[in-house]
Amino acid sequence: MNSSTHPFEQEEVMAYLDGELSANRAASVAAHLRECAECAALAEQMREVSSQLTNWSVEPAPANLTKNLEASRTGHSSVKVKKPNGIAAWLGGKLTPLSGHWAWGVGSAVALALVVLLFTTRRSTTYLQTVPEAQLAYDRPRSRTESKPWVAPASPSHAPHNASQMAAELYSERAQTSENLENDLPASRGSLPTFQRDEPMIARTASVSVMVKDFGPVEASVRAIAQRHNGYIANLNSALPQDAARTLTATLQIPSAQLEAAVTELKQLGRVDQETQSGEEVTKEFTDRAARLKNARATEQRLLDVLREHTGKVKDILEAEQEIARVRGEIEQMEADQRALQTRVDFATVQLAVQEEYKASLQSAPPSTTTRLRNAAVNGYRSLVESVIGIGVFALQALPTLVLWGTVLFLPGRWMWKRFRRTAAPQS
Amino acid sequence: MPGCESGSWRAMTSDEQLILELQQGSDGAFSELFLRYRERVWGFFRRRMNDTGQAEELAQETFLAVLHGAKRYEPRATFRSYLFGIAFNILAASRRKSAHDRTHAAAAAEEMPARSGSNPENVICIRQAVERLEAGEREVLLLREFEELSYEEIAKILYLPVNTVKSRLFRARMALRDILTATPGSLGGRK
Repeated sequence: MNSSTHPFEQEEVMAYLDGELSANRAASVAAHLRECAECAALAEQMREVSSQLTNWSVEPAPANLTKNLEASRTGHSSVKVKKPNGIAAWLGGKLTPLSGHWAWGVGSAVALALVVLLFTTRRSTTYLQTVPEAQLAYDRPRSRTESKPWVAPASPSHAPHNASQMAAELYSERAQTSENLENDLPASRGSLPTFQRDEPMIARTASVSVMVKDFGPVEASVRAIAQRHNGYIANLNSALPQDAARTLTATLQIPSAQLEAAVTELKQLGRVDQETQSGEEVTKEFTDRAARLKNARATEQRLLDVLREHTGKVKDILEAEQEIARVRGEIEQMEADQRALQTRVDFATVQLAVQEEYKASLQSAPPSTTTRLRNAAVNGYRSLVESVIGIGVFALQALPTLVLWGTVLFLPGRWMWKRFRRTAAPQS
Repeated sequence: MPGCESGSWRAMTSDEQLILELQQGSDGAFSELFLRYRERVWGFFRRRMNDTGQAEELAQETFLAVLHGAKRYEPRATFRSYLFGIAFNILAASRRKSAHDRTHAAAAAEEMPARSGSNPENVICIRQAVERLEAGEREVLLLREFEELSYEEIAKILYLPVNTVKSRLFRARMALRDILTATPGSLGGRK
């Protein structure tokens, strides 16, 4: 692919996928991708690489990270803490070349000066307890007594504090929620998509057809089975004809893990006429959608950044907003599809058909003659009324047309009639 | 929550607003930022370091640097790029110090446990493939794919022109595609 045959460089296609192009340029590349199979293939390969990279996940951050960070903030020396790397950390990592012996020397000199200065001015016996914090060059606006443990795992080193305990619980809960969200849907809230599964994702379906002798308790039994297996009934139809077998058809959504148990119970309702089970692997579809979703989110973020930093024409801003709205719509659609796909995997679909073993019963007594005559009279009267109404309706519909053509054809008709009579008279 | 009146309100606050609150001394703002970026900063170092303990220390050091350097933050860039800029500088300093001017991802293939739920073979396969990339291209790729930084943000962190970032990223992806396609047992990469 080159510029002589393609209007866009390969890197520009990649930039489009990464959401790095302006709205206009992105729209042009998108249009080109719809027409050019070669560029579309390249884009697909790019997505595939990104998709595969999502497999590289790491273990969750160790709990010690939180604990040690808290300890370093509060200055507890009992916990192994790597202090900020001298001036490098003090300067927010902007001057890392200053790390090393030189930085330690300067840091020590500054700390020593601070110690001497504070010691001579305050002469406090408790001062030495705050030295470690001073050495870390903390420029916290609050004093140490004002600061509260911001994350307080259950630890005897931290006195129970309602606010901090609540914070810890809340953080823990939110972290768990976030973890769950990551497991449910990739790239939620724009975070790194780390959804992984060892097992393939299978959307399972089953179909069971059962013949029962006693149809009465079937519906209640089906509802109980669905409830027992934490599923639900998506659709249920009962047909209760008097002169034929009663039937019940239902669509059950059962958690995939409990499909076998639920089907076994359903089969126990009666005699099994037919049973089928199938599964569709949707792993690739899910992964592809996750990658597309990630790219769309990146595009949206980039567009938002462009819009925020843009100072150009109003027309460009409006176009960017339209593009954002379009991308947002795509994201929502993809999220909905992703959720639907996840539901298909989590809940197996069971099509159930139950039919009663029909036993013909003796017909009841036929209707009496009087009733039949009365019904005939009613039907006759109804037919009469219907025919009168039908004629009236026809007349109303056709009359204007008949009047029109009668008027138009009257004079020619009369002239022809008179001429006919004149030619007929001499002959007679 | 210390300095945080409402968790849901915090969750809706932007990173940039939180760092500005941190400048005013809000502990809750820092807690929220830590909560948001703990796993990502940890992942940043874990994918680049062999030693778990060292990765943990550097992640901790990064957050401490954010905490103590908050006053020097200027809202000209996103907090995310600011954070990973710090992380990258700390990583570079650590590498210089330990004389390991390379990523240790592939070297740790057998030692680095995969996250529960992921396929270890796939993780090793991907990690080894990334390790085979040229160092400069690999770093750009990691910053883009895992830290989700824009080209411009990557350029600022690496002190490179944006076009160079774009070229390196493209070469990295194409090389990775070729490696994964040629690797038996890869995830079905195609060429």
